[in-house]
Amino acid sequence: MPTISIRSVSKRFSNGFEALKGIDAEIRSGSFTVVLGPSGAGKSTLLRLVNGLETPTTGEICIGDETVNGRNLRHIRSRVAMIFQQFNLVDRLSVVTNVLTGRLAHRSWIGSVFYLFRKEDIDIAQEVLSRVALTDKAWSRADKLSGGQQQRVGIARALAQQPKVILADEPVASLDPISSEEIMILLREIRDQDGITVVVNLHQVELARRFADRIIGMNSGKIVFDGKPEHMTPSVLRTIYQREGIEDDPSLDMALAYA
Amino acid sequence: MVHDLKLGRSSVEPLPPKPHNLIPTWLIATLVILWLIVRDLEISFETLVYGVEDMAEYFSRYGQPDFTHLSRYLALMGVTLATALWGTMFALIAAFFLAPLAARNFTPHPTTYRIVREVLNFMRAMPDLLLALIFVAALGLGPLPGALALGVHTSGFLGKFFAESLERVDQSVCEGVAATGANFPQRVMYAGWPSILREASGYTLYILDRNVRMASVLGLVGAGGIGLALHDTLRLFDYGQSAALILVILATILIIDHASAWLRRRLT
Amino acid sequence: MTPALTWRWPTPNGRLPLPLVSGVLVLLCALWLTAPIVEIDFVHLMGSIGRMATFASQMFVTPDWGYLPQLLAKMLETIEMTVLSTAIAIILSLPLGVLAAHNATPHIIVYRLTRDLLSLMRALPELVWALVFVSAVGLGPLPGVMALAFVTVGFMGKFFAESIEVVDHRAVEGVRAHGAGWLQVRWFAILPQALPDFVGTVMYILDHNLRAAAILGLVGAGGIGYDLVMSMRLFQYDRLLLIALSIYLVVTALDRASDRLRSRIIHGRWK
Repeated sequence: MPTISIRSVSKRFSNGFEALKGIDAEIRSGSFTVVLGPSGAGKSTLLRLVNGLETPTTGEICIGDETVNGRNLRHIRSRVAMIFQQFNLVDRLSVVTNVLTGRLAHRSWIGSVFYLFRKEDIDIAQEVLSRVALTDKAWSRADKLSGGQQQRVGIARALAQQPKVILADEPVASLDPISSEEIMILLREIRDQDGITVVVNLHQVELARRFADRIIGMNSGKIVFDGKPEHMTPSVLRTIYQREGIEDDPSLDMALAYA
Repeated sequence: MVHDLKLGRSSVEPLPPKPHNLIPTWLIATLVILWLIVRDLEISFETLVYGVEDMAEYFSRYGQPDFTHLSRYLALMGVTLATALWGTMFALIAAFFLAPLAARNFTPHPTTYRIVREVLNFMRAMPDLLLALIFVAALGLGPLPGALALGVHTSGFLGKFFAESLERVDQSVCEGVAATGANFPQRVMYAGWPSILREASGYTLYILDRNVRMASVLGLVGAGGIGLALHDTLRLFDYGQSAALILVILATILIIDHASAWLRRRLT
Repeated sequence: MTPALTWRWPTPNGRLPLPLVSGVLVLLCALWLTAPIVEIDFVHLMGSIGRMATFASQMFVTPDWGYLPQLLAKMLETIEMTVLSTAIAIILSLPLGVLAAHNATPHIIVYRLTRDLLSLMRALPELVWALVFVSAVGLGPLPGVMALAFVTVGFMGKFFAESIEVVDHRAVEGVRAHGAGWLQVRWFAILPQALPDFVGTVMYILDHNLRAAAILGLVGAGGIGYDLVMSMRLFQYDRLLLIALSIYLVVTALDRASDRLRSRIIHGRWK
């Protein structure tokens, strides 16, 4: 049974830019999918549509049997967690409080506006923090952490939601190679142990090849490849990374050689 | 070098035509307007000159402050401070609830945003003394109408300041919290207030400072505090007591000013 | 399990941090102790809602249109007082601002003295000075303008000094390196850089002075304030409504204008 169904979705922004041009895809429950493509291909827009941060111009997106729309956002988001390139933590709150924001959708606002949490929520926060190996930083302020640590807090926040799906929008684009590796291993582990569906946007071909079950290649708002990593041949990569209007791009071969 | 320059002078290219400089025009227009205003207000400089001559003599009458009723003045100043505190508290509470509605990135609906902005504008536009007059008419004499007037007027200020700070909260932080499925009050409490806590406390102290100043004149319209006493002594030409009252007000305001400046420095 | 165990705050011991608790307690104590002084009485407050409603309904009467010409004249006087006092204050504040900025002052003692003078000038509200000046030079707009200008210099001098203190010192050094004199450095390197900030300050002060000028009439210092108090005392709500409305309109118009001017300066399309 597919967890995420994307049905002929297109998105045009108010400035006229068409980010997505008719996307169809089914993402199976418990899979690890990497969306690969150059910047501006529409990868982020796609993920933001799934979480309801943007609304599609045409088409629809379903999570399970629920269509994403303005009315059920809170319910959808409680099951679909998101991890961001810039971590998007609240700088001035402690790591624990940042992780506990992942519980907000599950609780009424009355206690939470006073920063009051149930014992079980604190226990969840404790557990996910130990999973991302940040127990010792629990009471530090979020902006005192390094980039890799902040992204692990982001993952802990996503885990605290106990979601069905985790969407990660370029989670390693702002990190050094070693932290990137850690984050990807962590995401893979989450998929393997908890059976959570993981969808990751990447632009590093090598990481995609190593971690994904399935790769969706995108270029200028369209899906240009969909298949297993081992089917991703150099010619496929050329279609994914070719610039619009340029048939033969010599810099592309060089870039791909080092990818 | 010098020789070369002199030699070149004959063939120096003329500067392109000078762009129209409007500043002199504006300056002259401003001066004309100011002159017209002086004429219209019938401000005669003779009065001013005589006034200045008299002023020295006039101010010398304030030379001997009469502190015989000091304890009463201090009590009145206490009432004034209490009024300012409560006024600021009212404003803080109102602004706390109104500001998120008036911040474009938090507001639940664009219409709510417009309405609340307009309400805040209205509260800001009404001078607090006018409001105090109205509240005195409705509630009777005493400090309560003063505190309410200060509260209404300054919640317009605080609401606007807070809303503008909230609008400067990083978009990514708001999205990070929104993406977890948080609803409006939760987004405000987790992405909004923690991010602007420092700025907001600074504004609140600034408003408290301002309210102490204003509370000391609210007595003029019957809203309690030290202002009424000053008004009375000035009417009775009791310069000694007026001087003492002015000194008490001055000292208090300077103390509060320094205290809040110190607190603001510690906050940032 | 007791509720204390099931609910907790995200702190190491699950309780609120002590400084926060004590701070809030101090504030609550202060409010509780001062409540009787301010005569905060919620029963009285609730009881007076009826009176407020009656009062508000009295406000909605047919406006006294015959009063309009006088209103316009008084409003004009208010605006004129605002503009004149602000202009006087600008002229006086510029030199004082230079003296009170630590990177432009001739001497540290001058700096301290000017700062203290400015802080004394802005300490007392306009109305107190208006009271004093009315006693000194008699009724009319003159004492109002004097009071407004006096207090405004205190604020404007401080704001000017603060914007001078944040100018880019490299340009100042550049001009100084070319052998510019004391006054030349200030006139050609410091003031042009601080000018956009000055304009913002002047707009803010205009806004403030307009509100202040509207109430100075209360003590006989000119402007709309006198009519305001009289119509209140004489229960002429048909006039009061017009006055309140006109104050609101003028203040809002100025507010919008200064917002647009400010954003134009910030976005650099300054013409």
